[in-house]
Amino acid sequence: MEGLSYAWQALTTTPAVFAAMGGVVWGILGGALPGISPSITMALLLPFTYTMDPTTAIVMLASTYVGAEYGGSIPAILIRTPGTNAAAATAIDGYEMQKQGRGGEALGISLVSGVIGGLIGLFFLVVLTKPLAQVALLFTPPAYFALGILGLSVIASLSSGSLIKGLMAGVIGLMIATVGTDPISGVGRFTYGSPELLGGIPFILVMVGVFAVSELLVQAGMPDWVKGGEAQTRIKLPSFAMLKRLRKPQLIGSAIGLFEGCMPGAGGSIAAFMSYNEARRWSKHPEEFGKGSPEAIAAPETANNTVAGTALVPMLSFGIPGSNSTAILLGGLLIHGLQPGPLLFEKHPDVIYGLFGGLFVANTSLFFIGMLILTPAIWLVNRPKPYLMAAIYALIFSGIYSIDHSLFDLYLVLIAGAIGYVMRLFGFPFLPLVLGLVLGYLIEANYRRSLLLTGGDHIVFIQDPVALGLLITALVFVAGSAWRDIRSAGRKAAADKTDGSAPA
Amino acid sequence: MTRDAWIGVVFLAFAVIYWIAADGIRISPLDGPVTAAGLPKSLAYALGGLAVLLILRSLALKRMMAGTQARPAAAAAAEEAGPSDSHAHLRALGMLALGVGYLLVVPFLGYILSIVGLLLAASLYIGARFGVKTAAIAGLGGVFFYLLFVQFLHIPLPPGLWPDLLRSLQG
Repeated sequence: MEGLSYAWQALTTTPAVFAAMGGVVWGILGGALPGISPSITMALLLPFTYTMDPTTAIVMLASTYVGAEYGGSIPAILIRTPGTNAAAATAIDGYEMQKQGRGGEALGISLVSGVIGGLIGLFFLVVLTKPLAQVALLFTPPAYFALGILGLSVIASLSSGSLIKGLMAGVIGLMIATVGTDPISGVGRFTYGSPELLGGIPFILVMVGVFAVSELLVQAGMPDWVKGGEAQTRIKLPSFAMLKRLRKPQLIGSAIGLFEGCMPGAGGSIAAFMSYNEARRWSKHPEEFGKGSPEAIAAPETANNTVAGTALVPMLSFGIPGSNSTAILLGGLLIHGLQPGPLLFEKHPDVIYGLFGGLFVANTSLFFIGMLILTPAIWLVNRPKPYLMAAIYALIFSGIYSIDHSLFDLYLVLIAGAIGYVMRLFGFPFLPLVLGLVLGYLIEANYRRSLLLTGGDHIVFIQDPVALGLLITALVFVAGSAWRDIRSAGRKAAADKTDGSAPA
Repeated sequence: MTRDAWIGVVFLAFAVIYWIAADGIRISPLDGPVTAAGLPKSLAYALGGLAVLLILRSLALKRMMAGTQARPAAAAAAEEAGPSDSHAHLRALGMLALGVGYLLVVPFLGYILSIVGLLLAASLYIGARFGVKTAAIAGLGGVFFYLLFVQFLHIPLPPGLWPDLLRSLQG
């Protein structure tokens, strides 16, 4: 009841309601643009949240995530180009339905399934977050250090690409986090007399650079995406009979979204494809999949919007983001001096419950906004790419400058963008780097605090049962991933030897 | 050597340089058992170790693949960048250069003129046709951004040399 009271207060005394709706609009438009992922859409918004109150800022960012997960299905259905990775599964049958003249029906199923998935995800977010955060109350400095290491290890082992590159990206992120003034002794590290670096490298600059600027650099060398023409498509909401048919795939999508969302490194796209496969397995009409099956749209769209809610569980409970988008959200919290975890519930319940309330508004308003915004979204997708990319470039520079009014920051963003481009080129995942940067302070401060308690004896990390358990779990993840890599390479080499085909 | 092996070598060199830089961090009497250089040095060791593992992994994979039939051209192409990749990289570099160009001119020209220039240059660079339409879109875009950031959000974006110039003309 107290939570409801906080949520009501946040919604009625702050601009959180407008932030929720604005975030959904921004998210749908951003998600609809191919190449602009939910995390990039959120990263572009991040500088503007500096001047907002914490609740409004977090609600807007989270609502952007909600909107973007639906927005990605618009071009997926209309022009077979998913706006987000999570919409790739939707494109399979969605575009088939569009070709059959049923594009409006596909969009309606996507919208309704997205709303249902989002509300289910929100329910589990509310139910699971506080109990898990209470577990974190048992954490001592050694345990927090171990939690940071576990977070990095899990993300590095589950990210795309090789484990070694994931771990290297995490280490690079931690290295960037060491730039600035040492938190314990006040000594300058890697500042070389530059006053701008004394405060460290703000992670927002790295996030925007690595996600948004590097994408612009990639898009500069790519051809324009396929346009859908100016023909208008109107949303057609599913009938009651259709809704009845869609119950099973939506249930499958929400169950998989719940599980995948809580798992670090999993995310919407894995949940979407798993849901697609399971929905086909359990469908009474599996032969329709791939040819325009409504169930094939309902399952992945429910899944990816469920993930938009449940992915916040590990981030809010422990402060460990499990995806690029939740890493941006964590950045939004840290900008306002809010550290996720049990203390956030104790010290700032208004922010947490305000977020829950805001997400409720976002998911319910998605239904109406989704219908109204279709025409502008289609118009935007059909705009010439040069103008869109140029506008995003200008938005990045203007937004980042608004933080500290510093041109130095803009140079750092460009450098981060170049690093992001090189990382893409050589197969290094982004998330471990971002996580290393965001968790760097937590890891170092708790490591040194732990050793202060014991006079420098590292035995403290083994004597603390929670820390030991977390470190062993980290080791298991890394070892398991290494074993998987080795087996995969061995199997590939054996397969090539057997059939004499060229190695990829 | 494979591409990943070269990446490993580069990171190994970076780890050594980073360690040397970390060794130069001052020791403070306020430091505890672990000094300010403690974590950076540990990270340098970690990166160096991972770089060595990357090199070894890459060489081991190459050795495993070498046991198959004669390496066809497709495998070589997978490792090496073709002309289209070079073109994409140059395009990216150009885009980066546009950004740097914006940062170099904005202290002189001020925000609105510089942002119009950026919009125009970036649009043309990515493929828009040079003409009245593109110029108009860049101009309107600049006005929009000015109104949004300066007037609506009250963010003091760089004015350039214009205020000083106007003052000197008046004075």
